[in-house]
Amino acid sequence: MKRKTAITAAAAAILMAASCSLQETPYGFYSGDNFYRTEEDAESGLMYAYNALNYLEYLRGIWYVGDIPTDDMYPKSDEPGDIHMLENWTVNASTELTHYYYKYCYIGINRANIVIDKIGSSKLPEAVVSRVVGEAKFLRAWSYFNLVRTFGRCPVTLKPISSLEQTTSPLAKDIGEIYDIIIKDCTDASEMLLVSKSFGRVDKAAAQALLAKVYLTMASSKEYGVAGFREMDLDVDKTYALAAEQARHVVNDYPGVYGFDPDLRHIYDVYAPDGPEHIFIMSTDRSGTHEGMYTKIPLQFLPNNSSVPIFIKYPDGTLQQGNGNGWGVFLLNDDFVENAFLPTDKRRTELIHRSIYDQYGAEVTPSPVRGYFTSKYVDPDFIGERTSARPYLIRYSDIALVLAEAAGPAEGYPLVDAIRSRAGIAPLTPGLSLGDFRKAVLDERKRELAFEGNRLFDLRRTASVTKTVQEAGSMTEDEAAYYPIPQREVDLNPNVPSSQNNF
Amino acid sequence: MNKRILLLFLAALASLLASAQQRRTVTGTVYDFDGTPMTGVSIVVQGSQRGSISDENGKWSLEASTGETLEFWFLGYETIDRVLGEGDSAIEITMQVSANVLDDVVVVGYGAVKKSDLTGSVASVKMEAISDISATSVDGLLQGRAAGLQVINSSQDPGAGSTIRIRGNSSINGSNTPLVVVNGFPMGDAGALTQINTSDIESIEILKDASASAIYGSRGANGVILVTTKKADEGHTTATVKHQTVVSTLSAPVDIWYDPMLMAQVSNEEMANAGLNPVYIGQTIGGIYYPSLMEIQDGKWANTDWVDLCLRTPLTNSTTVSVNSANSRSSLNLNVNYFGDRGIYKKDDYDRLNLNIGYTYKILPSLLFSSYNVFSITSRNVCNGLEYGRNPLWPVYAEDGSYWKAGPTDFSHPLVALEDKMDKTSGRDYLLSGALDSEPLKGLKFHTQLDYRFKNSVQDIYYARTTSQEAFDNGGIAKVNMTRYQDVLSETYVTWDRTFGDHHLILMGGHSFDYEQNRGLYTTARGFVNDVLRNEDMNASDPALRQIYNDGYYVSKLLSFYGRANYSLKDRYLFTLTMRADGSTKFGKNNKWGFFPSGAFSWKMHKEPWLENATWLSELKWRASYGISGNQGINSYQTLDRYGSEKFYHDGKWTTVIGPGYEAARTGANDRYFVWGGIMNPDLKWETTAQADLGVDAAFFNSRLRFTADIYYKNTYNLLREKYLPLSSSYDKIWVNDGTVENKGFEITVDGDIISTRDWTFSAGVVFSANRNRVLHLGDAISSGLSTDERTGMLYEVTGPAISMFNQNASILAEGQPMNIFYGYRVDGIIQEGQNPGFIDSGALLDRPGELKYVDLDGDFAITSRDRCIIGDPNPDFTASLNLRASWKNLSLSVFLYGVFGADVLYNGYTYSPRVKAKRWTPDNPTNDFPSLNSIRQYYLSDYFIQDGSFLRVQNVNLSYEIPVGKKWLSAVRVYGNVDNLFTFSRFDGYDPEVGLDGIYWGGYPKFRKFTFGIDLQF
Repeated sequence: MKRKTAITAAAAAILMAASCSLQETPYGFYSGDNFYRTEEDAESGLMYAYNALNYLEYLRGIWYVGDIPTDDMYPKSDEPGDIHMLENWTVNASTELTHYYYKYCYIGINRANIVIDKIGSSKLPEAVVSRVVGEAKFLRAWSYFNLVRTFGRCPVTLKPISSLEQTTSPLAKDIGEIYDIIIKDCTDASEMLLVSKSFGRVDKAAAQALLAKVYLTMASSKEYGVAGFREMDLDVDKTYALAAEQARHVVNDYPGVYGFDPDLRHIYDVYAPDGPEHIFIMSTDRSGTHEGMYTKIPLQFLPNNSSVPIFIKYPDGTLQQGNGNGWGVFLLNDDFVENAFLPTDKRRTELIHRSIYDQYGAEVTPSPVRGYFTSKYVDPDFIGERTSARPYLIRYSDIALVLAEAAGPAEGYPLVDAIRSRAGIAPLTPGLSLGDFRKAVLDERKRELAFEGNRLFDLRRTASVTKTVQEAGSMTEDEAAYYPIPQREVDLNPNVPSSQNNF
Repeated sequence: MNKRILLLFLAALASLLASAQQRRTVTGTVYDFDGTPMTGVSIVVQGSQRGSISDENGKWSLEASTGETLEFWFLGYETIDRVLGEGDSAIEITMQVSANVLDDVVVVGYGAVKKSDLTGSVASVKMEAISDISATSVDGLLQGRAAGLQVINSSQDPGAGSTIRIRGNSSINGSNTPLVVVNGFPMGDAGALTQINTSDIESIEILKDASASAIYGSRGANGVILVTTKKADEGHTTATVKHQTVVSTLSAPVDIWYDPMLMAQVSNEEMANAGLNPVYIGQTIGGIYYPSLMEIQDGKWANTDWVDLCLRTPLTNSTTVSVNSANSRSSLNLNVNYFGDRGIYKKDDYDRLNLNIGYTYKILPSLLFSSYNVFSITSRNVCNGLEYGRNPLWPVYAEDGSYWKAGPTDFSHPLVALEDKMDKTSGRDYLLSGALDSEPLKGLKFHTQLDYRFKNSVQDIYYARTTSQEAFDNGGIAKVNMTRYQDVLSETYVTWDRTFGDHHLILMGGHSFDYEQNRGLYTTARGFVNDVLRNEDMNASDPALRQIYNDGYYVSKLLSFYGRANYSLKDRYLFTLTMRADGSTKFGKNNKWGFFPSGAFSWKMHKEPWLENATWLSELKWRASYGISGNQGINSYQTLDRYGSEKFYHDGKWTTVIGPGYEAARTGANDRYFVWGGIMNPDLKWETTAQADLGVDAAFFNSRLRFTADIYYKNTYNLLREKYLPLSSSYDKIWVNDGTVENKGFEITVDGDIISTRDWTFSAGVVFSANRNRVLHLGDAISSGLSTDERTGMLYEVTGPAISMFNQNASILAEGQPMNIFYGYRVDGIIQEGQNPGFIDSGALLDRPGELKYVDLDGDFAITSRDRCIIGDPNPDFTASLNLRASWKNLSLSVFLYGVFGADVLYNGYTYSPRVKAKRWTPDNPTNDFPSLNSIRQYYLSDYFIQDGSFLRVQNVNLSYEIPVGKKWLSAVRVYGNVDNLFTFSRFDGYDPEVGLDGIYWGGYPKFRKFTFGIDLQF
C-alpha cells in the first residue's frame, strides 16, 4: 500500500516539477530583447529602416503624390481605386492611397527611431554607431520631410513605439517644429557620415542634399506665403543662402564621386544605378521573390501588349525591350508633353513615347497605347513581372537645380545650362533677374525631374498648384497646400483633433 | 467500468480474506433472462470482500455464512440481492436486463457518474445508431444525434472533416469549435477526429453547460466532446471483421451547358446586351476560333462530355479487424482499420490506416495500469477543381494527338491539370498514453496519466508550367511543406467518495500540465529546366527563386489545477461545485492565470415521498447550473513584442533585415497591403463565457419514455479582438479583449421505446434545438474600425470571405444582430418594359428593363450604399431530427431524418449558372424572376441571391440482419445496407443547402447519395 502511494506521489511530484514557468519566450523570431546587440544587428536593423521605402504603399506614393495630382501625369480612366481622387483633387481623410502613404512614412520613422535609440545607446565601436545612427537620422528626416510636405502639421515621435500607451503621439505644435526636427537630423547625419557612395544607401552628400532641399522648400514657401509659413519667423534670403551652402557641398565638393551624367539615357539605365547622378536611389533587384524586393514600376507606365514584350524605339534607331504585360496606369498629360518641352528636347524625344514596336522595329498596329508614356523606368531583362527598375529619391541634377535656384544667376547659369545642353537644347536666356531666373529654374525642374515624384512639392512650395493644375482650379492655395490627415489617425489619436487645417 | 474492475479485484481477494468461521462453500448457476448460462456475473457477499465470478457455464462458488446477502451484478442488468438461507447450497439466479437507463454510467470530465446523478447538461450518443455509417471522422456522424450540437458536413472532399458547434457561435476571432477529449487526453478542436476508429469507440458524451464544461477551464467555453474507447470484457476473446463499401452517386445533375448551341446563343446575347461584339460569329479572337451559330448547328463541332472526363463514381471502402481479449489480470483491445475514400474527381483520394491498441494490466490487486495507443497513417492526393464546365465546343485533343488548347493562355484543360498538377500530403499521427489507477483506501482513488501525441505531415506540390500562367512564368513551381506537432500531457487527480448516512460526498482534485509544440517549414522552388522531376530535386531549380516562405515554431504551455465537489442529500438534492485555474503561456504577462468556477443544483423530485407512489414516473429531475469557462483560441506569441524580417538588396546581394513590425495579415485588393502587428499587449487574456442552464429530465413508464429539456443563456465577453491603432504608431492592430456576444436557446430530446417484446421492438427519438445568437457589443466604433449604417445608425464590421461576383464581403457583424448576417440591397423582381424602376442610374444603366429592380430605400432616386440593409440571416431558427428504429427478431430497420429550418443561404454565382442563364429575361420572356443577360453587369449583393436554406433530409436509412451462426469459429454474421441522403426536401435552387456557418453557397458539385453495403463477422 505504501509503495503505491509512494509511486503515485513521486509521479505527481515529478510532473509538478515539470510544470515550469509560464513566461512566454520568443522562439524563431527577433524582438527588442534579443536584437540590436552586434554590429551585424545594427546593420540589419538599419537596412530594415531603408526597406520601409520599398513597400509598394510608399514606393507608388512617389507618383501618386508627386505626379498624379499635377499637370504632368494622369491615371488611366478605368484604374480602380482612389487614384482618381488624387488626380481630381478630391482627396479626403478616407482616401486609401494617402492613408497608406502616411502610414508608411511613420513605419519608416519608427524603424529609424528604434535604430537611433538602440544603437545610439549601445557600446558598439564609435565608427559603427556614427555611421548607423547617421544613416538612420537621414531616413527619419526623409520620412518627416515627406510627411510635412504632404500632410503639413502631423504627430511627431522621436522614440520607438512598443506599447499601447505610446501609440498616441502628440501633434507637432506647428510646421516649424517638424522642420526643426528634420534640420537637426540632417545636420547630425551630415556630421556623422562620411562621403562614401554606395548603391541604395546614403552618405554625407545625401544628408547635405536633403538639407539643401529642406532649406529651399522653407525659403520658397516663406517667399510665396505658403500656409504654415506665413507666421513662421524665417528670413527668406538667409534660408536660401543656407540651402545654397548645403547644395554647394554636394555639387562642388565631391568631383569624380558625384556629378552630371553626360549621357541622358544612362541616368535611367537599370544596370547603372550607382552612376554619377546617384545620391539616393531605391535599392531593389529583379532577383527578389516578392514585390518590394523587386519592383513592378515599368508595368505602371508601359502599355499592355497582351503579354508580348514590347520594344521602345529611340531616335537613333536602337530598340529597348520592355514588359509586354504593362498596366499603363500612369499616362503622361498630352498638354504637358507637347507644350513643356521643345520638340528637340531629348527629354522629350528619348524619354517620352507614344508608339511601341516589335523586336524587328516594326510598329505594333493597331496600337494598344492609350497615351504618352515614359521610358525612365524600363528593365529590358525583366522576369515576368519582376524588374530592377528603381526610382531616384535624390539625384545630382536635382541638387544642381536646388543650388541654381537658391544661389541665383551667378552660380546658377552654368548648372542649368549643363542640364539643358545634355538635353540638346539651347542655353537659358542670359541676363535674367533673380526672380525670373528662379522661375526659369523651376521650369527646368519640371522638365528634368518630370515623373520622378517632385512636381507636386515644387508647385506647393511656390503656391502655384491652383493656377497650374486645372483640376485644382476651384480650390484656394491653402486648401491645396496639404492633404487631410487620414481619418484613422483623427479617430484613434486624441492628440489629432481634426484632419483639416493642419498647419 | 471502474466499479466493475473494483468488484473483480474484490472478488479476487475474496478467497484470501475468507474467514473459516461459520462459513461454508456455496455454489450456484447464473442464467441470462433467456435461460442460457451467463458468464462474468460478479457475486459479492455484502459487507465483506468475498466474491466470485461466474464461469462459462454460469457456475460460481464462494464462502459465505447463513444470513449474509449475496449481490449479483452485471453491467446493464438489474442487481439481485439474495439472502443466504439455511439450506441454500446450489443457488440458481436468473438475471434481468436493467430497464432503467438512468443507471448508465456517463463519463464526465475527470470521472464518471451515474446518469441519474448528473447535475449538468450532458448528452450521450449511442454508438450503435451511427456505427454503420461511413465517415472520415466520427464527430461528423453526430449530426442530429444530440440536442444543442450543430454538425455541418458541407465538404464532400475525401478525408474532409466537419464543422461542429455546441450551442452556437460565441467567438469572433477565436475558435468556436468544441474541445475533443479522448480517454482524458484533450485533442484540440472537434471535427477532425480521424485517428480513432468508430468501431473502437464505447461512448461519446457532449458536455454542454458550464457545470459540465467549466472543469476544462480556459478551453471549455465552446463545450467539450468526450470520447471513450472500448475495453475488452473479461473472460472473453472475440475477433471481429467488419467491412463496408460505399457507392456515392450524385443526387442531382451537374449544372453545365449540355447544349452548345444554347450556350453560344446565350453568350452572344450577353455580349450584345453589354454593348460588346458577340463572340460566336465565326471569328478568331486571341488565337481561338469561335464558330458561328450556323456552324454549330451544322454539327461539325464537338460536344465534349467534360464531366465524363473529370468525374467518376466514387467508391469508399472501410475494413476493420478487431481482437478483444481479457482475463482476470489483463485485457487487450486491438483495432485495425483501413479506410479508402475516393473523391468525385479522378485521382482525388484519401487513404488511411489506423491501429488502435488498448491494454490494461493489473500490477497489484489495487493498482491498474492501462494504456491506449493510436497509430494513424494518412495519405491525401488532392486533385479537385477540374474544370468539368469547360466549353463543350472545345475538343479534347488536337489533330496531332496532344491536348487541345484554346490559346497560349489556356491553362484550364482538365486532363492537363489531372496529369501535371501534383498535391500530395502524407501524415502520421501517433498517440501514446499510459495511466495508473489505484485505490489505496476504500473510497480514495488515484489516477495519473501521461499522454504524448506526435503528428507530422509532409506535403509535396508541383505545378508544371502547363498548369497556370504563374507556373508558366516561373518555369514550374515546387513546394515541400513539413509540419510536426507534439503534445505532452501529464494529469493526476484524486477522488474521494464517502457516504455518511443521508449524505454522499465525492471530492475530486487534480492537476495537469500540457506542453504543445508546433514546428513547420514551408519551402518553394521555381524555375526548373523542365517538369520531369517535379519537386523531387528542389536543387534543380533557379537558385534565385528558392524560398523558405514559412518557418514557424510555436510552443505553448498550460498548467492547471482543478477540483470538484459533488454532494447529495438523501439522494434527492444534489450539488456540484467545480473550479479550475489555468495558467497559460499564451496569456499576457499581467494575466497569466484564469479562474473558472461553476456550480449546479439538481433536485430528484421523483424521490420525494409524495411522489414515490407514482409508479408511472421513473424520474423527474430538475437541474440548474451556472458557471464560467474560457476560450484561449489565440496563437502563441500574440502578447509579445515581435519583430519582422525582410530581404533587402545591398552590395549586390540579398541581406536579411530585421526590426519592429510583423506581418500579421494582408488586406486590400489582391491582398496587396500588409497589416502590421507585433506590438505587445501584456494584458491580453482569454475570452470568458458565463452560462446559465435550467433543465429537466423526466422518464415515465419504467423509463420507456424519456424526456430532457434545457434552456440556456450564454454570455461571452472580453472577446479576443484586434483593435486598430493610430497610423502614426506604425502598427495597424493590437490584440485586445473587447466585445460581447450572447447565445440563448432551448433543447428538447424525447426518446420512447414504444414496443418492446422479445421479437418486436420499435423506438423513436426526437431531438430539437433552437439557438438565438446576437452580437451585443463590438467595442467602441472608432478603435474597432466599425462602419455605420447611415439610415439606422447600426454599427457593424465587414466579415467573411470576399465574393468576387459582388466585389465585396457578404456578411457583417452588427451590434444587436446575429453573427454573419447578410448586408446588401433589396430587390423587387425585374424591371419590366415601360415600368418605372423608382431610381435613375445613368452610369451603369441598371435602370433599364431586364435589370434587377433594386429598392431605393432612402428615396433619393439613386442606388447608393445608403440603400443597403440586412437582407438575410444564415443562422437556423431551429434544427430537428427524428430517429425511428424497429426490429423483428434479427432484422432491424432504422430511419433517420434531419432538418434545418429558417437558415438563409447566399447563392454565390446564381445568375452565372447555365441553368439560370437559360431562363433569362428577354423582351419576349418578361419573367420577374431572372434578369436579362449582360456579360459586364456588376451585381450588387442583394436579397435576390438569398434563398431559403431550410431543408428536411432523409439522412439515413439502415436495414440490417443478423444471421445467428453459433459455430465455434464463427459466432455471428451481420449484414446491412445503408442509404445516406436518400432524399432532401428543400426550396433551395442549388444542389444542396447544407453550407458552412457563414451561409454562403459556393456551388461545387451535387451532394452525394451514398449506398453502403456492409458485413460484420464475429469469431
